[in-house]
Amino acid sequence: MMKRIILAAAFSLSALPALADHVRPVTDPETLKACGECHMAFQPAFLPARSWTRMMGQLSDHFGDNAGMAPDKAERIRQVLVADAADTGGGKAGRKALRGIALSETPLRITETPRFIAKHERISEREWKRPEVMTRSNCVACHRGAETGSYEDE
Amino acid sequence: MNARWEFRLLRLWHAALAGGFLVAYVTADEDTYAMHVFSGYWVVGAVVLRLALALVGSAGGPLALPKPRLTWAKPGRNPLFAWMAAILVGGMAVAGVTGIAADVIPALEDLHEGLAEASLWLVLAHAAIIAWIFQGRRVREMLKGSTAALFAIALLTAPAAFAADAARDAIKAGYARQAGPGFAGFSPERGRALFESKNTASPDYASCTTCHTADPTADGRHAKTGRAIKPVAVSANPKRFTDAAKVEERFDRDCQTVLGRVCSATEKGDYIAYMESK
Repeated sequence: MMKRIILAAAFSLSALPALADHVRPVTDPETLKACGECHMAFQPAFLPARSWTRMMGQLSDHFGDNAGMAPDKAERIRQVLVADAADTGGGKAGRKALRGIALSETPLRITETPRFIAKHERISEREWKRPEVMTRSNCVACHRGAETGSYEDE
Repeated sequence: MNARWEFRLLRLWHAALAGGFLVAYVTADEDTYAMHVFSGYWVVGAVVLRLALALVGSAGGPLALPKPRLTWAKPGRNPLFAWMAAILVGGMAVAGVTGIAADVIPALEDLHEGLAEASLWLVLAHAAIIAWIFQGRRVREMLKGSTAALFAIALLTAPAAFAADAARDAIKAGYARQAGPGFAGFSPERGRALFESKNTASPDYASCTTCHTADPTADGRHAKTGRAIKPVAVSANPKRFTDAAKVEERFDRDCQTVLGRVCSATEKGDYIAYMESK
């Protein structure tokens, strides 16, 4: 028993450095399923609450695609996203994501936020063109732990 | 009541009947007579409950008691299901009732024992037929890979596959109702034509195959996001078309995107029928 506790503690400690680049992932099953069906369920801390509210209000034109769903379902998911948004429950990662976004702005694309652009400045166009990347929003193509909220340099 | 809950009730009821019959069968000796009587009443109670459940359930749903027919309206359910249910439930009901009545009329004892004996064979035949209908294909696939572990998993997941098939049947039954008068069954061939059709509504998604690939049993990939998509074919992904809300959501979106219009109930049923046939 004691051995197990020590082992568990050791594992937890070894995971600590990862917390540095950790963004709280979505845990709500309905949200995970609805978003994750077509793309990674992006962490809500990457956008302010007003962005998520606008996005969930125009799902029939979701970046040019139809992501329409039942209104009650969209509202439940909106609440989940708003609860952990950059300016609400997003924590440290959220505060960083907010930098450079004016209060008058409501960004919808995470890939166009100042933080994303700054962080990916040194990625060459050739890297983006790799066949498995397809689009800048395909986080997992490079950040293997993106789904669980880990965005360490890789 | 939605189909999923109806189906849970059906499984619960099936367990009650099967368990009751098994206990009654093995406790038929004199020394376990009290248990035999109890389980006998249990079986009769379960049969009565089944008739009551049929009244509660939705028409054409998992709890309905369809009339046994000699013809098979493909791709509908195998008519053997209705026959097995009628014969087994009927046989057990008579076996139970004659057992109760034998306390008053001893002459019924032979009939009771004969029916009980016959019912056991019917149960075994029932299990064999179910295994054949639902698992035949998977067992053969399994034998190709031929590992004992996979076989064990197949046996354990057989009830889950049964539940998924019933849920899918209920969804198709719903589309059949929506199709209205003149409806003459779903066609896997039409479903295939729809799946493979090339359209002009969207430059990004010309066809279902754009993301799903031309082989429905293969993994797909979202054409814009690169997200992996699980196979659409039921044989490769038994969970497909088992959540009615999900199915509607996907048809709502994807018909509009790929075809530039909504799909008719018949088209939706055809599509599901094709994916079941793959």
